[in-house]
Amino acid sequence: MRTDEEFTSNDLIQGHQLMALIFVSRLVPITVTFPSITGISVPQDGWIVMFISTLGAIPVVLWINWLAQAFPRRTIVEYSEILLGKIAGKALSLVFVFYLLLIAGITARQVGEAYTAAIMPETPILVFMGVIAFVAGNAAYNGVEVVGRVAETVFWIVLVVTVVVLTLPMNAMRFENLRPVLPGGLGIIVKETATSWIIFLEIIVSAMIVPFLTRPSDARRFSLLAVGGVGLVGMSFAAVLVAVFGVLTPTLTLPAFSLGRLISIGDFLERIEVIPMGIWTVSAGVKMSFFLWAGAVGLAQICGLRRYQPFVYPLCVLSVSLGVLLFDDVMEMERFSAPERSGICIMVIVLGFMTVLTLARLLRGNRTSGDGGEG
Amino acid sequence: MWSRLRKLWRNRQEEKTASPKREETLSSQLEANADRIKTEFGDSADIQIRRLRIGRDGQRHALLISIDGLIDKKYLTEAVLLPLVQTDIPTGSGVEVFQYLKEQMLAVAEVTETDRMARVLMALGGGDSVLFVQDVAKALIFDTKGWEQRGIEEPITESTIRGSKEGFVENIRTNTALLRRRIRSPRLRVEEYTIGRVSQTRIALVYVDGLAEERMVDEVRRRLEGIDVDAIQGSGHLEEYITDAPYSPFPVWMPTERPDRAAGALLEGRIVILIDGTPFQLVAPATFTMFLDTGEDYCSDYLIASLLRPLRFAAFVASLILPSVYVAIVTFHQEMLPTSLILSIASQREGVPLPTVFEALMMETIFEVMREAGVRLPRIVGTAISIIGALVLGEAAIRAELVSPIMAVVVAATGIASFSVPIYSFGIAPRMLRFVFLLLAGSLGLFGVIVGLFALHIHLVSLRSLGVPYFEPLAPLVVSDLKDSLIRAPWWSMDTRPRLVGEKSGSRRQRRHLRPGRFPTERREKER
Repeated sequence: MRTDEEFTSNDLIQGHQLMALIFVSRLVPITVTFPSITGISVPQDGWIVMFISTLGAIPVVLWINWLAQAFPRRTIVEYSEILLGKIAGKALSLVFVFYLLLIAGITARQVGEAYTAAIMPETPILVFMGVIAFVAGNAAYNGVEVVGRVAETVFWIVLVVTVVVLTLPMNAMRFENLRPVLPGGLGIIVKETATSWIIFLEIIVSAMIVPFLTRPSDARRFSLLAVGGVGLVGMSFAAVLVAVFGVLTPTLTLPAFSLGRLISIGDFLERIEVIPMGIWTVSAGVKMSFFLWAGAVGLAQICGLRRYQPFVYPLCVLSVSLGVLLFDDVMEMERFSAPERSGICIMVIVLGFMTVLTLARLLRGNRTSGDGGEG
Repeated sequence: MWSRLRKLWRNRQEEKTASPKREETLSSQLEANADRIKTEFGDSADIQIRRLRIGRDGQRHALLISIDGLIDKKYLTEAVLLPLVQTDIPTGSGVEVFQYLKEQMLAVAEVTETDRMARVLMALGGGDSVLFVQDVAKALIFDTKGWEQRGIEEPITESTIRGSKEGFVENIRTNTALLRRRIRSPRLRVEEYTIGRVSQTRIALVYVDGLAEERMVDEVRRRLEGIDVDAIQGSGHLEEYITDAPYSPFPVWMPTERPDRAAGALLEGRIVILIDGTPFQLVAPATFTMFLDTGEDYCSDYLIASLLRPLRFAAFVASLILPSVYVAIVTFHQEMLPTSLILSIASQREGVPLPTVFEALMMETIFEVMREAGVRLPRIVGTAISIIGALVLGEAAIRAELVSPIMAVVVAATGIASFSVPIYSFGIAPRMLRFVFLLLAGSLGLFGVIVGLFALHIHLVSLRSLGVPYFEPLAPLVVSDLKDSLIRAPWWSMDTRPRLVGEKSGSRRQRRHLRPGRFPTERREKER
């Protein structure tokens, strides 16, 4: 039973809000660009790719939480300084913050691309990116509590809309499209699975939020629940897409909207892809606010400042700039996480950072445990 | 340093000008006191100074002062004047006579003694009468308040069909009585404050001891004590000094005219502030869903209440975004509508020269002007305005092809939806934000509307009312409080008070398992 302080305390969120944050953030790339984002060639393997990458994400979640539990009231930026020393800790944390910004930038670009490609082609992409970044920045500015509450509300709406989008095109589904299963064997989906798993590495952002939980020990349970939930939704999406579109699935740039386009309610409301699009926009906003908040808090801690708010809006501008400058077109952005592009680089940043921290923790052993207990 | 000294000097000066008479004592000379009072009130015409010779023998002089219009003259005559002039008063010193009058002679319920001029002036302003006796540097203050006031009537803005027909009035004492009649427990606490250096407005902080959280009551006390202004003229005026969200269009203190609603809030552990001079009293902590409730919800069937609450929420959302969604769809997302409907809209808009967003802005502005005119004008003329607005202006504008008929329908539907919001001050927020949403829809289509809703949601979840999250129980999710949020569960199932409001110990408000039909069955089983 939760205490009432857990509901009302400033700057703290509850475990289920963390779950909602991870779920909503993770759902953004899945619902819009999966499975095309993985560059999959055999569409019916999509759900298997998602299944294996979800399984692969579980050890990462456990690893992040193993590190975090030693320092329950410190962020990854703070304990990296404790474990690695000031200079090395700050340097690695800076790379980590850059990674968070990059993800926020990619999310803004995804929003912009989705709107310019599917709905309003004549409006400059920068308008969509700037507006969503500003609003997400506003949530981040208001604090983790606000970000958590927004995610909590959006979570339920996302869940309902996802179920609607997955079930309403029932008539168009041909489940025989899902066969044969793994026609080319497991070997041919290694690269796709790796891409999907690399996207899952975004969950490292939760290492910034653990100390802001009312009960940091909840982090592992709720993170695992979120990853499991996302895996389930992702697998369903992949399966439904193939059941509806068959071999055409890999050619769809924004498969979820193509699915929404098929829905017709009473022959009156048609092409309601705008509704999943709207929900997805809000989810993207939540994801951006989460990453911007984490980035701003991380940067403030690197600089030794108490308040992170002054960093939020400059980071919004930076993330939008990154989103615009890094990719020439939507295809390039979608393939960004593939191992042959920047996937390896992302793996090095995330896993390298965690490995260094793990080694430092193991080497320093008990000497660090005293720091962890501090609040 | 210099600025600090200047500030200190200014504060001293302000203190001096604000309360020059705080330490001033009364004179034993009647005329000196009378002159001082006359000077303070600037020889106001409504000051009544009655020079008396008290006792049957008329040996001793006295002075009875009051303000015409604020006192009950009949009561003053019977309870004070007649005993003073018709009864024998024992001889003795002035102080002995003064004590005799105070303790034995005057048939007034509330008599207090003072030697301070400031207290006398305040009492006179509040409708009390003051008696001075010769050679005594003290005064007796009698409670003789009695002025013309509105009787208890049905609340205009929160009427119900099955609920109580009593509404708060402008008199604070009547209002405290209305609450006491509903909560007879001695745990109902009424703490009175006088706020406003000039207006001296009486304000009562009301709560139920043991149900309201002590920290919360202390916080309200702190906020009330911190107000240092010339005047408080009403609940809206006070609200702006004690609100948690001074820049938000959404109220975080709920104004209510209904004593039953205020009493219900008190029983949930909330705090009520009564303000003299207005029938609208304030309740806090207030949450978003409370503003969509009506008094009717609690006295009518829970099923209909649970159906109407989501409907009101939908009306609230419609009053916010209906015109903007129309503008976005017609301007940017025509593919969403069936071909027949879009053709119909296109044919209606054929001769309309304005872009849809300007058409909507124009119509909404006209609607707001009409609403404002309707409220300000006398009722008889108000009816004429609605005829002019609806028939002449609306019909003529459509015929002149200034606006399309469907736009008139959308604006009318939005107007009706906005009237479904039960609390007037809460309905103001969507009225204002509607224009922002229209501009967003006109420039960015549904993306603009969605981003606007996202920003609004961020704002709403960031608000607090006396520390309680405004969007509770939806975010943060408090499952036990969902029973009285967008639905209204049966009374027998709402066995706990709101989770985040009030004292935490003893949050149960009724015994478990009070569902009707349960007891007879159990009894039957026992009998078997």
